[in-house]
Amino acid sequence: VRRYLLRRLASFGVTLLFVSALAFIAVRVLPGDPALLIMGPEGNPEATARLRTALGLDRPIPVQYLEWLGGAVRGDLGVSIQYDVPVGWLIASRLPVTLPLTALAGLFMVAVALPLGLYAATRHRRAGDYATMIVSQLGIAVPSFWTGLLLILLFSVHLGWVRSGGFEGWSAGLGPALRSLLLPALALGAFQAAVLVRATRSAVLDVLREDYVRTARAKGVGEARVIGTHTLRNALIPILTVAGVQLGQLMAGSIILESVFALPGLGRLALGAIAARDLPLVQGVALFVASSIVIINFAVDIAYALADPRIRHDGGR
Amino acid sequence: MRVILALLMVLWAAGVAAGQGNLVVQVTTEPPGLDLTASPASAIAGVVFYNVQECLVKVDRHGKLVPWLAERWHTADERNYTFFLRRGVRFHNGRELKAADVKFVIERAMNPETKHPHPQHYAAITNLVVKDDYTITLTLKSPNAMFLYNLARQGSVIYPREAVDTLKSAPVGTGPFTVADWVRGDRIVLARNPDYWVKGLPRLDRVTYRFIPDPNAALAALKAGDVDVAMFGIGPEHVPELQRDPRFQVVVGETTSDVILAMNNARKPYSDVRVRRAMTHAINKPEVVKGAMFGLGRVLGSNIDPLNPYFVDLAGAMPYDPARAQKLLAEAGYAGGFETVLRVPPQYYYTVRSGEVITSQLQKVGVKVRIEQIEWGQWLARVYKEADYDLTIIGHAEAWDISNYANPKYYFRYDSPRFQELFRTSETTVDDRARRDLYVKMQRLLVEDAPVVWLFVHPRLAAAKKGVQGLWKDLPLLAFDLSEVSWAK
Repeated sequence: VRRYLLRRLASFGVTLLFVSALAFIAVRVLPGDPALLIMGPEGNPEATARLRTALGLDRPIPVQYLEWLGGAVRGDLGVSIQYDVPVGWLIASRLPVTLPLTALAGLFMVAVALPLGLYAATRHRRAGDYATMIVSQLGIAVPSFWTGLLLILLFSVHLGWVRSGGFEGWSAGLGPALRSLLLPALALGAFQAAVLVRATRSAVLDVLREDYVRTARAKGVGEARVIGTHTLRNALIPILTVAGVQLGQLMAGSIILESVFALPGLGRLALGAIAARDLPLVQGVALFVASSIVIINFAVDIAYALADPRIRHDGGR
Repeated sequence: MRVILALLMVLWAAGVAAGQGNLVVQVTTEPPGLDLTASPASAIAGVVFYNVQECLVKVDRHGKLVPWLAERWHTADERNYTFFLRRGVRFHNGRELKAADVKFVIERAMNPETKHPHPQHYAAITNLVVKDDYTITLTLKSPNAMFLYNLARQGSVIYPREAVDTLKSAPVGTGPFTVADWVRGDRIVLARNPDYWVKGLPRLDRVTYRFIPDPNAALAALKAGDVDVAMFGIGPEHVPELQRDPRFQVVVGETTSDVILAMNNARKPYSDVRVRRAMTHAINKPEVVKGAMFGLGRVLGSNIDPLNPYFVDLAGAMPYDPARAQKLLAEAGYAGGFETVLRVPPQYYYTVRSGEVITSQLQKVGVKVRIEQIEWGQWLARVYKEADYDLTIIGHAEAWDISNYANPKYYFRYDSPRFQELFRTSETTVDDRARRDLYVKMQRLLVEDAPVVWLFVHPRLAAAKKGVQGLWKDLPLLAFDLSEVSWAK
């Protein structure tokens, strides 16, 4: 087990190094000058040039990269060009929005998709199955920002139950904070739930065709136990794989929904940073998101092992 | 009936809860800091300028220069200006404004080390002498017609020297409001300055700015009652709907933002003035305003915006005339038309929409336009900085920006010694009538040389709940002055 862990850790490090270099090169290859973006079209050219020098942007790219990497290893991600505050601090300040939002959306995704997928599989080729598939087709076809706007129109403009956007912060209390995250989490989770419903349905259908399920039924095991114990557990591996990938996608999807709902999260921070060519901030966010996704994958791997003893023993050999 | 009654109760309660002294304002982007002397970003000016910090001179809601922190000034030779400061004006930190603060602020702006975005606005100043606590004399190299106006710009705000280090996060000034709170990513809150030197102002107790980038979300927030004023976020397509809604008022006014179709004057075929004139004749500007802006926005014929005192209406000087355009193209050797690329930054919705209308209009005279959408950072780097483009559409928001045409290195690459001479003369001509003559000449010369096609003035579009009063109708410069805004009783 320890060797398995070490191997995973090493690949974790290599992935991060690769991502950091990629993010670093990408934002520099992209045409666009941070100093020019700050000073704008009407800015004085000499003042813009002075700012460029002050930001250290006229040095060779490898030098800039190594310097940044050296800082990053020590936990110093540099200072944001736009906001003039440490990147680490900026990222940390946005996590109380993005993490709960992603978690809520993920929760919603699983809570909706698992039962619905199971239901559709057990009603295979019957009305319930078709209805579920049509709904999930709709969920996939409708982009999440549109779902978000529709939710705002219904719950904020017409019914007035929740605010149309913005986030007061957790200091305003658990209730108000969750209320501002509810609609975006629904919009974000709906799309992924629609995808997961289909994955769950087909995974469960595959298992239902297995011999041991037939045997179990022949033994006279109740349908609830057939589904609950024999089927679901065995169908979990493909479902976990899809869900793990989707958790990463939820983070990416939050970029758009944070704009629609005016939430001060990581996604909007990243979007603004790219538009302003705030290089240290883009790199910092890319590194953070990449690490999170690698960690999620790691967690999914462990979950595999928990769900399926064969993987556990294989890994331990 | 019971439902209606309940609804009325709710509405009434909402009206009371809105609070007579509080205003929630939607703005599109969060300011990247609050220091007006470090960045020309309009998002900073939208919050800080005139609300938190003020200048010696102010541009009022009609575009007129009026004495402000300086109650008057005097000049005998147009080179030495003596400013007499208003007495008893206090900064938010309680200290009185003195002439030494003015000297500090202007010298700091002139110093290249401080990275002020526009040091050239103060380049004419050669000497600053503090005569006493309330009197300061500024000496210029030579008479400068823009000098007073430059002192009214956002980069010329006066702040106390001891607060220079907090300009970025908590700017201190003399304005009607103080910065009370900034929750990054969500809101900025301004609170009433009880010691404001203008008696009776401000009328609001609290202003909360919310950053809502998406125009549809901004509209939804307004309709849901979460914001009281949408300052910048609504598009022209939202205007008819809001005008029909009895809960709201729409402010449609003028701005200084000239939307232009720029042509690269250094590149063929636009190096030929006949082609540039043909382009102007081939474009039906009222149709562009109708198609791209839902009819909102004033058709423009030359560079100066209608809020400028020297504006001449030249919208009809080079009218829509496709036959004439074709004739001019033939004379220039392009009887069969030509192909060209139009680069537009979709960050500004009107550039793409105008581009689509213009493309179909130019098609009729044989000019085949391919639209290329280009991200804002790239637009700045490639089009603006390198002049790597054929055609582009953009709004020039600055007031008094005719100077761009006197700069042959500007991305238009328009190089007219005659224009440059006229402009140079206008810079040192202080007499109003003589200067007006020069400005009229410059505008007419521009029409003739057609370095760009002036399309329309981007309208000011703001929406507010009924009952909000005192908002500026026009924007003679980028400031959302809220000092006189209040709720109707």
